[in-house]
Amino acid sequence: MSRWAKQIQMQCNIPAIGVASSNIVHYATGYVAKYQTGMPIRYVSVPFPFTGQPRAVDVGYVSGKDMLTGQPLMGAVVGALTGPLTAEEKISGAAPEEAIEPRLLPPDSEENLRMLFEDREWTDFNSIILPTERRVTEMLKGTSHKPDEVIKTINITGGARQLTVEKVAISAVMAGASPEHLPVILALATQAPFGNSTSSMANMVVISGPIRNKLKFNCGTNAMGPYNRSNAVVGRAFALMSKTAGDLRNNVNAWETLGNTMQYNSMCYGENEEALPDGWDPLHVETGFKPTDNVLSVGTGWSSIASVGASQSIYPTHYLMRDYMSSFCASGSAATIVIDPTVAGLLKDVHGFKTKAQLSEWFSQNVTKMNASYWGNGVIQSTAVPFALAGLEPYASWRKLPDDALIKPFTNPKAIHVVVAGGKVQTMWFVTDFGIRRGVKIDDWA
Amino acid sequence: MTPRLTAAVLLGAFILVPALSSHALPKYAQKAPSVKPGQDPSASAKDEIPFPQVPRITGEEVERIAKEKGNVVLVDTDDPEAYAAEHIKGAVNIAFDPTVEAKEQDQLLSALPGDRLIVFYCNCSHEEDSAPMVLEMWELGYDHEKVKALKGGLTRWEQLGYPLAGTDVDKNQEKGN
Repeated sequence: MSRWAKQIQMQCNIPAIGVASSNIVHYATGYVAKYQTGMPIRYVSVPFPFTGQPRAVDVGYVSGKDMLTGQPLMGAVVGALTGPLTAEEKISGAAPEEAIEPRLLPPDSEENLRMLFEDREWTDFNSIILPTERRVTEMLKGTSHKPDEVIKTINITGGARQLTVEKVAISAVMAGASPEHLPVILALATQAPFGNSTSSMANMVVISGPIRNKLKFNCGTNAMGPYNRSNAVVGRAFALMSKTAGDLRNNVNAWETLGNTMQYNSMCYGENEEALPDGWDPLHVETGFKPTDNVLSVGTGWSSIASVGASQSIYPTHYLMRDYMSSFCASGSAATIVIDPTVAGLLKDVHGFKTKAQLSEWFSQNVTKMNASYWGNGVIQSTAVPFALAGLEPYASWRKLPDDALIKPFTNPKAIHVVVAGGKVQTMWFVTDFGIRRGVKIDDWA
Repeated sequence: MTPRLTAAVLLGAFILVPALSSHALPKYAQKAPSVKPGQDPSASAKDEIPFPQVPRITGEEVERIAKEKGNVVLVDTDDPEAYAAEHIKGAVNIAFDPTVEAKEQDQLLSALPGDRLIVFYCNCSHEEDSAPMVLEMWELGYDHEKVKALKGGLTRWEQLGYPLAGTDVDKNQEKGN
């Protein structure tokens, strides 16, 4: 909002202010005061939440008081637009440069250094391996890439940070990884930082190709549980590099109201490629890689529902999956279904899905959702509504349907991915609303 | 007594660089160098076309496909104010902003239909703002042949006399009337 208000001021040469809810306005004002030049954007504030409230409540906010000054809201709006500049607002020129952290900290006791890392939030608050110079140097032996090579530049609030190979190696050490894990973690770094929204966003990391066996990633029993080192350290490194390079600090710029425990290791697991039914390709092959390529794929989403109990013939498994999927927001038509090899076998041999693509197509055609339920989701409101108003189909037509009409919101079967993992112990599966991005070749980072 | 670690601890040393500098842009989002004084602009455009891996489509081709099949989605990558003032008729708006993580746009981008030709365009000379969006669509798994950048962008579309919409267009029509 600060950005848009500033743009209106500069382009139209008229004063602009922001009206924001009380839960985020301090973030917005801090950002503007710290990083923008010229007069900061002024704000007035209303209580939160205002979406989902009866209209009378929102009207009450407008006739009520500004949460920042305690003045009547509309008076505060006029005051913010017309009030003379304060001394602080008259400051112009570039914002002072941030103090750059030293590359090396002075020696100290392990206890003190751990406390320092916790104070600065350079940790996920599980115990870390302190990244000494010797340990990081050893870690860097896991790649041929130079330590100062910039993998990507991460845009953070008010600036940008360069994520180098050395910084990723630091996160790898902290996570407890070994040098042979580094190419995987460097490939993962190309996708950093992980998602950060006010909702409980989380990630999924899927490892494909021969490297799963070489590094002993768990693709079988307990693939998603705390039973394997490679799954644990690679997934954890994503959280650590996201928090440090992505500058994510609780209540400063990380605002997930409930958070998500999946962020601790980002559901890192390998696909059980050896247990795929004939005709079902691994995830990375489906997305254009060779079977012999070592690939890491990252998914992003919010929701995950696990099945309970064994599959029953009275109601086929894919029907249950379909029912569960209907509760997802279907943003971007995205879903990722993780299924045990036994379920994959049933789906192929009993129900006739000869490929993963056929199953995805079936979900696209058969998952239905009540129209009001679709539009009642906040993510859909912010993405599909502008498209509907601009006349883009199918959104424009869906907006005109009655609330109880059934729509098929998973319009793009290619955004519905199926991954096979698990140990054939039970006919279990997860459905998630995670959208998977194109994979990254791990060998490029060896 | 707690022993002191003999080695110093390596920190992230996350160096802040100014937003909007070329360093702040993802590699794929960095623009081509501008034309130097005395240089032939057309030669420059040919030699230094930004994001050459992104397929371009001409306005004529888009118009033809739209008329024959009607299944083209046009995406304006300008900021919302510019979009409101003038855009290709029927286009939706997803603004390109090099100062935010490209992934922050993913919810919007992935809401675009996967079964139609999607054409991104900007109000810039060599698709500097629209081509990076095409690359991000590829990252999201969209078919390469179904996502393209409009060659010459809004300017070329206007030159061709194809339909536009927006507040500026409405004002001009009122004046014309």
